[in-house]
Amino acid sequence: MTMSMEYAAREAAGNLWRNRLMTITAILTVAVSLSLLGATMIMRQAVAGVTVNWGKGVNIIVFMHSNASGGQLQAVHQQLASMPQVSHCYYVDHQASFTEMKQMFSSQPDVYQQAGLTASEVPTSYRCSLSNPKDAQVVASTFQNQPGVRSIYDPIQQANTIKNISGIIQLVFVIIAVILLLSAAVLILNTIRLAIFARRREVAVMKLVGATNWFIRIPFMLEGLSQGIIGAIVATGVVFGMQAALGYLVHHTHSALLRSLVPPQHDVVTTVIVVFLVGMVVGALGSLIAIRRFLEV
Amino acid sequence: MISFENVTKSYRGSILALRECSVRVEKGEFVFIVGPSGSGKTTFIRLLLREETPDSGQIWLAGREVTQLAPWKVPYLRRNIGCVFQDFRLLPNKTVAENVSFALEVIGRPKHVVTTQVHQALDLVGLGKKQSRLPHELSGGEQQRVAVARAFVNRPLVLLADEPTGNLDPKTSLGIMRLLDRINRTGTTVMVATHDASMVDAMRRRVIELEHGELVRDQARGVYGYST
Repeated sequence: MTMSMEYAAREAAGNLWRNRLMTITAILTVAVSLSLLGATMIMRQAVAGVTVNWGKGVNIIVFMHSNASGGQLQAVHQQLASMPQVSHCYYVDHQASFTEMKQMFSSQPDVYQQAGLTASEVPTSYRCSLSNPKDAQVVASTFQNQPGVRSIYDPIQQANTIKNISGIIQLVFVIIAVILLLSAAVLILNTIRLAIFARRREVAVMKLVGATNWFIRIPFMLEGLSQGIIGAIVATGVVFGMQAALGYLVHHTHSALLRSLVPPQHDVVTTVIVVFLVGMVVGALGSLIAIRRFLEV
Repeated sequence: MISFENVTKSYRGSILALRECSVRVEKGEFVFIVGPSGSGKTTFIRLLLREETPDSGQIWLAGREVTQLAPWKVPYLRRNIGCVFQDFRLLPNKTVAENVSFALEVIGRPKHVVTTQVHQALDLVGLGKKQSRLPHELSGGEQQRVAVARAFVNRPLVLLADEPTGNLDPKTSLGIMRLLDRINRTGTTVMVATHDASMVDAMRRRVIELEHGELVRDQARGVYGYST
C-alpha cells in the first residue's frame, strides 16, 4: 500500500506543478479568504474581552469643568455618596489629573506643552466604582446636565460602541470571506478539471487494467486538498502576523481601550485550527465536485 | 469460462446492437468474432468488460455474473481481462517499460513483482531490447506489441483484442496474430474481434459471426466468409 501512497503523492505534485499558474491563483484566493476569516475571529475574540481598566474597579468617571465652583463639586460629591448604586468614590484633583495627563502623553509632550496647559486648566474628576457595573448608565444620566459637570465617561458604553463597530466590520469581513471561499472552491474545481483532462489517457488505461476507483480519484483529491492546506498555511502566517501587530500596537500605545484587546494565545490556536479546517473543507469540496462531474470511473 | 446467455443490448432504445445472443467459450480457446462494422463485435467486448450493461440476459466470466457485479467490484473483474485495441492506447510520455509497468503499478502490485513481470512480458513480445524507447520511436507493429505486453503482463484469464491489426500492414498483422497465438498456448483464452479476412483464414480457429447483432455462425475451424 505504501507504493500507492507514494504514487498518489507523486501524481498530485505533478499535477499541481503542471497547472502552476492556476494552482497559485487558487491557493492565493484560499489564503486571502482564510486570512479574512482569521482576522474576523481574532477581532471577535479581542473585542469580547474588552473591559476597560481605568484604574482598579472604576466603572464610571464624572469629569468636572476645570473652573467648577466648590459648591458644584460639593453637590456632585454628596449626590454620588447618597446614591445606592455607587459603592465607592474618590476625587482626582487638578494636580493629580495633570500628572496623569502628562503620563498619558509622555511620548508626545507637544500636546499639552504647545497648548500651554497648566494644572488648573485640567478637568478634575470623581472616579467611582459601582456595586453593579450595569447601573453605569443610570448613574451617568443623573449627572448629565448637572451644573459644573463637563462630561461623564462610561467605559461600558464605550466598550459597547467598540463592539458595535467591530460587529459591522466582522460582518463585512465574513461576507467577503464567504464569497472568496466560494470562488476559491470554484478555482480549485477548475484546476482539478484541467488536471483530469490532461490525464484522460492515463485514466482510461487505469480503468482498463482494473485500477480501483479510489486509486484513480485519490491523486485528484489530494491535489485539491493540498491547495486548501497550502492556502491555510499562508493564512496562518497572516494570522500570526496580525496577532504580533496587535501585540505591538497594544504595548506601544497608552490607550486603555486598545490595551484590553490582546487575545490570549490559546485563542490564536483556535483560530488557526478553524482556518485549517475551513481550508481543507474548501479544497476537498472543490475536488470532490470536479471528480463527480468530470471523472467517470 | 465465458458465457453469454440470451444477451440483448440496444443503444438509445432503438438501435439493436446484440439480439438474444448466446455463446459459450471454454478456457484456453482462441475465438474470432467477425462481421461487418456495426454488427455488434465491439458491444460484445464492452459488455464483457462491464463498460456497458445489457438490456437483458446474463454474462458469465470465470463463474461470476458480470451484469450483477457491484460497481466497486468491476475493477477486479477487469484485472482478469487483458485488452488490446486498434489504436494501441499507449501513454505517449512513458517509455515502453513504463507503459507496461503502469498496468501493474496502478493495481498496487509490489515493485519486485512489477520488475520481473514487465521483463518477462517484454521478452515474450520480443521488445526486451527496446524497453527504454518512447512509443513514437517505434513502428506500428512494435507499438501494438507493447500494447499486447501491457494486456498480458498481469497474466489475465482472457485476452480481448478489438481490431488489433486494423492499423497494420498484412505482414506485421501476421506477427501480431502469431503473438496472440503464442499467448493462447500459455492457456489464456483469446478473443479477437476483426474483419481482417486473411488473418481469420490463415489461423483456422473457431469463428463466431455476428450480423445486425445476431449470431449467424459459430464454426469450430472456420474462415472469414461462408465457405462452400
